[in-house]
Amino acid sequence: MVPGAARSGAGRDDLSTLNERPGESTDKTIYEQVQASPEFADLRSRLRRFVFPMSAAFLVWYLAYVLLASYAPQFMAIKVLGNINVGLIIGLLQFVTTFLITTLYVRYANKHLDPAAERLRERIEGAA
Amino acid sequence: MPIEAIAALTAMALVAVASAVIGSLGVRVARSTSDFLVASRTVGPTANAGAISGEYLSAASFLGIAGLILRDGVDALWYPVGFTAGYLALVLFVAAPLRRSGAYTVPDFAESRLRSRTLRKICTVFVAVIGWLYLLPQLQGAGLTLTTVTGLPSWVGMVASAVVVVATVVLGGMRSITFVQAFQYWLKLTAMVVPATIAVIFFVSDERTFNREAPPQFPDRTVVDVRTDVVLRVEESVVVGYNGEDVNWEPGRYDVPAGTSLEFAGGAKVPVVLGAPVQDADWLVPYAGEQEGGLLGTYSLIIALFLGTMGLPHVLVRFYTNPDGRAARRTAVIVLGMLGVFYIAVTLVGALSRLYNPQLLVSGDTDAAVLLLPSAVLGSGWAGALLGALVAAGAWAAFLSTSSGLIVSIAGVLSTDVLRSGKVRDFRLAAVVAGAAPLVLSLTVTRLDFSEAVALVFAVAASTFCPLLVLGIWWRGLTDRGAIAGVLVGGVLSAGAVGVALSGQVPDGTLSVLLYRPALVTVPTAFLVMAVVSTLTRRRQPADTEQVMLRMHAPERLGLSRDRLAERLRSTGL
Repeated sequence: MVPGAARSGAGRDDLSTLNERPGESTDKTIYEQVQASPEFADLRSRLRRFVFPMSAAFLVWYLAYVLLASYAPQFMAIKVLGNINVGLIIGLLQFVTTFLITTLYVRYANKHLDPAAERLRERIEGAA
Repeated sequence: MPIEAIAALTAMALVAVASAVIGSLGVRVARSTSDFLVASRTVGPTANAGAISGEYLSAASFLGIAGLILRDGVDALWYPVGFTAGYLALVLFVAAPLRRSGAYTVPDFAESRLRSRTLRKICTVFVAVIGWLYLLPQLQGAGLTLTTVTGLPSWVGMVASAVVVVATVVLGGMRSITFVQAFQYWLKLTAMVVPATIAVIFFVSDERTFNREAPPQFPDRTVVDVRTDVVLRVEESVVVGYNGEDVNWEPGRYDVPAGTSLEFAGGAKVPVVLGAPVQDADWLVPYAGEQEGGLLGTYSLIIALFLGTMGLPHVLVRFYTNPDGRAARRTAVIVLGMLGVFYIAVTLVGALSRLYNPQLLVSGDTDAAVLLLPSAVLGSGWAGALLGALVAAGAWAAFLSTSSGLIVSIAGVLSTDVLRSGKVRDFRLAAVVAGAAPLVLSLTVTRLDFSEAVALVFAVAASTFCPLLVLGIWWRGLTDRGAIAGVLVGGVLSAGAVGVALSGQVPDGTLSVLLYRPALVTVPTAFLVMAVVSTLTRRRQPADTEQVMLRMHAPERLGLSRDRLAERLRSTGL
């Protein structure tokens, strides 16, 4: 959080003055410029490319477990070791998947989102 | 008073005192929101993750999940899985953009995104409703803990715990301080892992297993006092001392009224409350019990838990304690690890209770499983008393952390949006109101299983705040009218279903599944209404939508995000 950013209200932010340089139209706000930049589009598409397919994948995995439990109880009841059956193992695997997805997200964000954000920042600050 | 009761009461008092001491040694600030501002500069990801987990793991998680595992077996795994997955949904969809929007609460977000005071007021009402419904099982859980430990009637426990938590919030002894919450997480974890480990050691050296086609058995001669009316199912005939008179129960259904005393010999097969799997082998397999609408109900539960977490007032605000997005993500991973370890310990305790506390299957009081495991495993000596005291302290910490977080959240919105002042006196008044309302409710409604009661609250949150947050963050077409319509429709439908479920007047069939688990219908309806009404009122999109959206989705180091709290503090002169 940048303390100075809180000072101005809605509308043109004080940052918009940073971007005024000769030859570039100044009637666009910083918001419109960022919005239109290919770096921002890149950042958004990277985020969406991960978040939405991943959410879909793990919802399907959760819902598939319920379906298996309802329609393939014999499969779920197969004994693996002592008291432990397939249903129990898949049930506990749900915890593991949740943890795994978060770890993947963090790695993806560090590797792909942060550099994209950095490029966007360089563009904005470079324009100043 | 027996030695166990004295030990447990002492432990609970120590938890309250320790929390107050840690709270007062930490950063002293008057309001939770400012606390987050200050904490953001001082707290590392691990302590912060401890705080988030501490606030998230409520008395319902501590007591309720083990109870459901004991009764329903593998099917009940959905609750802990859903609670953790809900947290993941919050991280993926909402946490980072909301942080950057600078809004600290849902009403705040609603107003800054859609410029509508009316929407803000409606959201305030739902924060209070969700908070109160969530406090209900917490109070009942604290009441159950006190009752189990001391043997006093349950209303005494509920009143005492409500008074303690409101007093600590009002007197400022338990401010919503990160380190207090983190301390309480570690206490809860210890109080769950230690008995789980001890019980596992006993189980390994025990020749009994779950892997058999038979009901559980009583380890010793057991007297069960039935406190609420139950219907029991008997699959193998058993001799019961029914109010002191020996009766032979043939296989079938038996109605047992409250106040009955049932005595079973050691080795007798345990009759099980109707609806739960009877055979141990069935209990280990999903859906082997005779559940009605199992698939429908489970899908509805998953949706509620998965989408409801993001709408809980005390969870959302915690994300501001991270200095930046990178730290917030690290925190998220640690939190999921912490929640996972805790829930696995809870699952073990619940499962082993089937061996050591089968009488709970008869009385239906399965929520007491965690509290009774120590004495069942270790006996009534000093070791059992000590372990029992640790568990009671953990349950009390779970109650204190979630309830005080909730009361601070509710009192915060009540004092800013209803009383319209920043005075400390009004905040205290609001805190009393925030605690009194659920207490009255908890004394009048029938007690559901804690985890089920919590799932109802998740359904309300998922039907109101989830569409508002998700569409508000990811869809520029949302309008104030659309949001109001969606929140009202989702809220009235889901809260109505909860009301009917709590009143106990539930008809049979598919409808009853949807009354207990309304999310499958109410969440899509709320999303749909919000989208359709917004499209119809397209012209009402706020003029600054582009800016607000960009602020939420651009990286924060650009300096585009603003701090609404800082603005408000400046404008009110706090």
